[in-house]
Amino acid sequence: MMKRELVKSKMKSLWQTTLKDIVFTSARPVYAIGLAFLVSAIMIGASKVNPITAYVALFQGAFGSLAGLANTCVRATPLLLAGLGIAYGFKAGLLNIGAEGQMYAGGAAATVVALIPLPVPAFLHVTLAVLAGFAGGIIWGIIPGYLRAYRGVSEIVVTLMLNYVAIYLINWLVEEPHPLAELNTTFPQSPIIEKSAQLPILIKYTSMHAGIILGIVLGLILYLLLRYTPFGFKTRMIGQNPEAARYAGIRIKRQILFAMLISCGFGGLAGASEVLGLKHRLFDYFVGGVGYEAIAVALLANGNALGVIFSAFFFGALKAGANKMQIVSGIESSMALIVMALAVLFVIAIGFGERKFRPKRKKDKDSTERGIKAYGD
Amino acid sequence: MEISLGFISDWLSAAVRQAAPVMLVGVGGVFTERSGILNIGLEGMMLMGALTAVAANFLTGGNVLVATICAMLAGGVLSVGHAYLTVTRRANQIVSGLSINFFALGLTNVLIARLFPTQRCRVALYPVLVPERLHDIPFIGPVIFSQSVIVWIAFVLPLIAAWVLYRTSWGLNIRAVGDHPHAVATAGLSVIRLKYVGVILSGMFAGLGGSALVLSDLGYFVENITAGRGFIALAAIIVGKWNPIWVAVVCLLFGVADAFQLRLQTFGSAVPHQVLIMLPYLLTIAALAGFVGRTVAPKTINQPYDPEKI
Repeated sequence: MMKRELVKSKMKSLWQTTLKDIVFTSARPVYAIGLAFLVSAIMIGASKVNPITAYVALFQGAFGSLAGLANTCVRATPLLLAGLGIAYGFKAGLLNIGAEGQMYAGGAAATVVALIPLPVPAFLHVTLAVLAGFAGGIIWGIIPGYLRAYRGVSEIVVTLMLNYVAIYLINWLVEEPHPLAELNTTFPQSPIIEKSAQLPILIKYTSMHAGIILGIVLGLILYLLLRYTPFGFKTRMIGQNPEAARYAGIRIKRQILFAMLISCGFGGLAGASEVLGLKHRLFDYFVGGVGYEAIAVALLANGNALGVIFSAFFFGALKAGANKMQIVSGIESSMALIVMALAVLFVIAIGFGERKFRPKRKKDKDSTERGIKAYGD
Repeated sequence: MEISLGFISDWLSAAVRQAAPVMLVGVGGVFTERSGILNIGLEGMMLMGALTAVAANFLTGGNVLVATICAMLAGGVLSVGHAYLTVTRRANQIVSGLSINFFALGLTNVLIARLFPTQRCRVALYPVLVPERLHDIPFIGPVIFSQSVIVWIAFVLPLIAAWVLYRTSWGLNIRAVGDHPHAVATAGLSVIRLKYVGVILSGMFAGLGGSALVLSDLGYFVENITAGRGFIALAAIIVGKWNPIWVAVVCLLFGVADAFQLRLQTFGSAVPHQVLIMLPYLLTIAALAGFVGRTVAPKTINQPYDPEKI
């Protein structure tokens, strides 16, 4: 009887903290998004279009139909997967801005496995390909991870530079005489991957694939791991106070390397899901900036894994709806990029004020400050 | 492929032309980094400068000088935003810079579609000062004389920048503020103001670099025309060890590699041309890892300055 009560109260507190987390970490970004839409509305108005018409079209494009909803999910998937990795990096005090490159690396690795006609069930083949993507991301994280952990070199510039190395590596791989190239085509690209390695389509006649489920499940797992396990505690400790972590007997160099590899692995997963679920082949520039957008996603969520799910959907919807907005109101779909940029700029502009003016809200302050610290180096 | 004098002078001419815009951005970037503020937004500021240069040029009917000034102002305005967020609000420098890149990409895409809705329009270019008949002089003709005036400016500016940075007291202040901001504050100087000036200078130079990119031989703007050149400038700053002259030399080296890579593609060879494009990025990582001499970044780079916290 006693035990049951205990479990019950524990469950209750678990639910409460989770709820609190959602409410508080989302408050700041919501203001920022509101402001971003407001400023964008002024810009839209300045080009003699009614902003409400434009926004209604945006909303309809993202949620108004099954196809739109599917498109939102498709756009959100890579943002979610890569965003989770970046958010996890934040918690460990790492600023991984190389998701773009990791996506290329993961996509390439997944393509290699997906091109081989393995004599195994489809379920196994696709799993292997996804794992290959994860491994590809990890490989792309070895250099920045090692340099950061063992030689004290900031991971920021190294991950940024590796993005371009990845782009040209893909360029080499799919160019005609080279390993992954499809022969006798006009475009440098790989052949279509095996049917058995493609992620299943969830809704018929749309391109919505299972990558989104992978993302949501991993997001929930990551959230619970970070919040309630010793692993999460260790991660947060090396992010917030590496000195204390060292005194507590955590082998911090190894932990930093580990954190970097996992963070990059998520980027690889994002690339793999793009190839296996949507593009079905590898080609030049197939990521096209999504890896950078994922940084905005992670930031808007303040590094919180649950928040990343929401912000990835928000950005996904924004991108999906922007096309409809262009058709209906003539406002270029690039407006979505502006909204995205403004939202992040407002988050960091508001962020500091909150800490300054409201120093006493304990739980809340804790989570914001942790976030801010994690972004700085 | 055949290596002749013609080939070499053609190659170097292209290298010099391609290096110039990056050089301008890189040399400007030295000032912001020396003041302790990392500016990843250089790419976006360059892009904004490029669009503004074309737009102003088009709207004024070919006034290159006005276009250049407008481009510098456009870069400057974006950098004021970066300075406000990173210096005054002490926000994260990387995040601010990245968002500025997004913003600039989105804004230029929207604006260019507005400006030239149907077709791409060519605008006036920077003038070439040396008369045409001297361009045929072997080697120096194509490499130096045939270049437009902005390329010459790009090659003179690093010298001026180095002189300012190492031979004037203001330069000393800028260098000191990145390494020991509190000492600068103790000496009675405004750390905030110095940092602002450093960031804004970098933004204006980035705008100028953007203008050099579009108005030296293209004359039009396409979406994302900078294509990572701002990041190459960032790489050159690190490999060039935060010294304007070395940064310029590294930019030129990158230009030489890039121009060679383009020629390699047309001739075809055993060495993949991608290796040469990767060179700037790989060199930067090697420099950071300490394989290419000792790299000492400004001490407080990427850290917010808090006057109350030592």
